[in-house]
Amino acid sequence: MLSVFKSIPTHMDYKGQKLAEQIFQGIILISAVIGFVYGLIIQQFGWTVYIVLAGFAVSCLLTLPPWPMYRRNPLPWQPVAPEASGEPTQKPQDNTKRKKHK
Amino acid sequence: MNTVLSRANSLFAFSLSVMAALTFGCFVTTAFKDRRVPVDIHVSKVMLKNVDDFTGPRERSDLGFITFDISADLEPIFDWNVKQLFLYLSAEYATKSNSLNQVVLWDRIILRGENTKLNLRDMKSKYFFFDDGNGLRANKNITLTLSWNVVPNAGILPLVAGSGHISLPFPEKYEATKSY
Repeated sequence: MLSVFKSIPTHMDYKGQKLAEQIFQGIILISAVIGFVYGLIIQQFGWTVYIVLAGFAVSCLLTLPPWPMYRRNPLPWQPVAPEASGEPTQKPQDNTKRKKHK
Repeated sequence: MNTVLSRANSLFAFSLSVMAALTFGCFVTTAFKDRRVPVDIHVSKVMLKNVDDFTGPRERSDLGFITFDISADLEPIFDWNVKQLFLYLSAEYATKSNSLNQVVLWDRIILRGENTKLNLRDMKSKYFFFDDGNGLRANKNITLTLSWNVVPNAGILPLVAGSGHISLPFPEKYEATKSY
């Protein structure tokens, strides 16, 4: 059953990763500031925690799945060179999975 | 950041760091607040007995019974960094054998959200008021003070003495009841 999850493509390109990181950092920081101010006004720290958790949930939705906006700058791979001896050519997808760790 | 798991990892770690910073901020906003509130204690009856002290050496010790009233408004103490208050009423006095004695007579926990106005009448002590010996009889000066421990969400636990205390003398004879 785990193989089903592994076969879903979840990659983003570099600019997409940077965008995703900026988005979730921004959302969580904004929700932290809003939560802190609201909790200070009504004098209940529980609401601060709830607001930060809501920000966490929103940024999960926005940055965990690989939305198309994170795939707008794919790496320009070289075209596949025709092999004279007829070896099977490697697809760019496989190159991506092997060369990068994260 | 190429897989869901690594994105989830950095997202979660960042959220936890932000949460820790917010908790520190919560502590900083209430760290220097004065937690004292005026307290009114009144004692209506004092009785004294001389019994075998089962908790100590086999001699007869003084056992005091106090009936008291407490009224205080603890509302200003509670803020967003206070989880609960631990109140206790202690009696402090000096005898010939010991220069300082402190005995806790009664305590109570008040959680945030419960009624913060204390208006207790004719309360009996929760714990035995035993003396180490016979120092309670004809003791001129026994001071009752209500103090509390503030249990915060984040930070230091201050121990605060209430602003009101009452001093009262104990009766001269055993089994004698003195009404105030």
